[in-house]
Amino acid sequence: MSSGSVKPSVRSAAWRISLWSTLVFACGTLLVFIFLHRFVAGDIQRRSDAWLSGEVEVLGDVAERTPKDALYSRVVGEIAELAAKEAPKVQSDSSASDSVFFLQTGSDGSLQLWVGAGDGLAQLRSIRDSGVSSGQPADLHVNGIAIPFRVASIRVKDGTHIYLGLSERDQLRVLGELRLRFILIWLLVVSFGFAIVFFATRRMLSHVRRMTEAASVIGSSDLKARVPTTERNDEVSLLALTLNRMLDRIETSVDQLHTITGSLAHDLRSPLTAIRGRLEMSLSASTQGEQAEPIISAIEEVDRLTDFLNKSLDVAEAKADALRLNRVPFDLDQLLEVMIDLYEPSMAEKGVKIELHGGEPLFIEADQALIHRMIANLFDNEMKHLPSACTVDLRLMAQDGMALFVLEDDGPGFDAEVLPHLFGRRVKGKGSTGHGLGLAFVDAVARAHGGTATASNCENGGARIAITLPLASQNPS
Amino acid sequence: MRLLLVEDEAEISDFLRTSLAEAGYLVDVAADGKTAEWLATEEEFDILIVDLGLPDQDGISLILRLRQMGVRAPVLILSARRSVDDRVRGLEQGGDDYLTKPFALAELLARLRNLLKRNNPAGGEATRLQILDLELDLLRREAKRSGQLLQLTTQEFVLLEFLCRNAGRVVTRSMILEKVWGMRILPETNVVDVHIYRLRGKVDGPGQQPMIRTIRGVGYVLRER
Repeated sequence: MSSGSVKPSVRSAAWRISLWSTLVFACGTLLVFIFLHRFVAGDIQRRSDAWLSGEVEVLGDVAERTPKDALYSRVVGEIAELAAKEAPKVQSDSSASDSVFFLQTGSDGSLQLWVGAGDGLAQLRSIRDSGVSSGQPADLHVNGIAIPFRVASIRVKDGTHIYLGLSERDQLRVLGELRLRFILIWLLVVSFGFAIVFFATRRMLSHVRRMTEAASVIGSSDLKARVPTTERNDEVSLLALTLNRMLDRIETSVDQLHTITGSLAHDLRSPLTAIRGRLEMSLSASTQGEQAEPIISAIEEVDRLTDFLNKSLDVAEAKADALRLNRVPFDLDQLLEVMIDLYEPSMAEKGVKIELHGGEPLFIEADQALIHRMIANLFDNEMKHLPSACTVDLRLMAQDGMALFVLEDDGPGFDAEVLPHLFGRRVKGKGSTGHGLGLAFVDAVARAHGGTATASNCENGGARIAITLPLASQNPS
Repeated sequence: MRLLLVEDEAEISDFLRTSLAEAGYLVDVAADGKTAEWLATEEEFDILIVDLGLPDQDGISLILRLRQMGVRAPVLILSARRSVDDRVRGLEQGGDDYLTKPFALAELLARLRNLLKRNNPAGGEATRLQILDLELDLLRREAKRSGQLLQLTTQEFVLLEFLCRNAGRVVTRSMILEKVWGMRILPETNVVDVHIYRLRGKVDGPGQQPMIRTIRGVGYVLRER
């Protein structure tokens, strides 16, 4: 079992449960993060927008009040630089020079004043193209600069426009780091969660598997065995306890059946023994000829009654799975040959041929005495029902880990109305002289060994009985 | 031969006592385990018949206790169950034998003889058997009647050997099935009879005194006189 448990673990319930639960957990946390991410990004933008709007208003105010002389550009430029230094920074090392720009255009749209990195022409072109207008700050993509700017503008009364731009670099970096950290932690947590769930369920389910193994042993042979229990007081151990309690009851019932059938058999057998003994004594003591005749037939009647009693009890016990099996490995082919050797002369006398197609040793693990009686029942049946000049064909082969024994004849076959319940007790064909227990016994013995018995009619009309019996696990030879 | 019969059913012990006495045994009867233990310590028996279903104890426990007490005599176990207990099998391997009820008297007597013979093997195993003018060479597996070689199959020779070893005593069909074919079955058909007819056809030639006799309702016997 241990060698086979590695491969199926991929398909095992533990694997599936942990996979699905991990998937659900991962998706859930991912959704929570996306929500959080949007919230943080929105908040950062709101803050930078508030700063930009305030600052551009101040600058507009300054530009309006400052006289348009030679000092204008210096005054406004310095104030713009001061404002740039106060720009909201998340990281202190980011240089103010390229994260903020100030741009003033004349009333004709030409560049009038520029504070920032570069000459400002690219920015001016982008502003013209995107048509940033006064009011709410907006995103501005500048050719040659990967990271967009957030730009706020205001119109000064003299017809010029003032633009204040703030690079979104810091904002993007903050969000990027947030994402990276989340993904790392997320991966860690998800794989940890998977491992924990997988090992927990596997531990729990391995107990279930041990129970299954034990139960299959009980099912096939040993009614005394019990499924393993644990100290933990969970559902699985409760299941084990319940199963064991059920097995206790079944075992008690089977034991009771044994006791009842045993005492019933005993009660009937003792008077039968006494009757038979007395008959035999009177036979040997008294006489020959005509006087002996009724005694002999009485003995024969007693024997028939005994046989019927034996078979009824056998079938009853086997139906209740209460046959005591003494399993030994033996060659079914050889057993059949011996039985054919025994039956062949009487069959030949009736004009019935019997042939075995096999020849290969086929070891099964079964109760030899019961198999003897089962085959004897089948052969007796054939002899009682087959007309002369018929042939009984026996075939023996291994199939799907079972020994398959097929008996076919070319006689009249089973009556159609009997066929469906052929293995029932007291089922007899028309004109049958038996007590209708033969095939019920055959079926019961096959079942008791974990095999099957099926009956049908062949295409040519003859009867066909197929019996499977478990092969021996080890070839003893 | 002293025999102890441990059987609680009065009906059975009655007729067994009579027929065993007729067969030449000195029979003591114990109706329960306690009496049997007491009798076994007081007297020495050559053979015991023990029924498994005793009122005061289990027959197997009784046998095991008697063995502990030093009783060496072989035991024939009578059982009312058809499915034979593993413990009975164990005893059977230990040299004892068992018989299920109901049984034929002839079979009981034959089994008792076998047990006694097994317990006191008289000399070495014979290689030849001779009954009247029938000779069996057990090494060469050949049989002759009045000096004439019989054409027997292997199985027929085994059957004839079994009859010869029990010459003069009745053997039942179930004994033949068990000893010759090695199976305890009760066929509903005349399988054993046909084998016997065939054997008889070869052994008892025309004009010869028939040796194999059928005892109706019981079994067969090979005449020794």
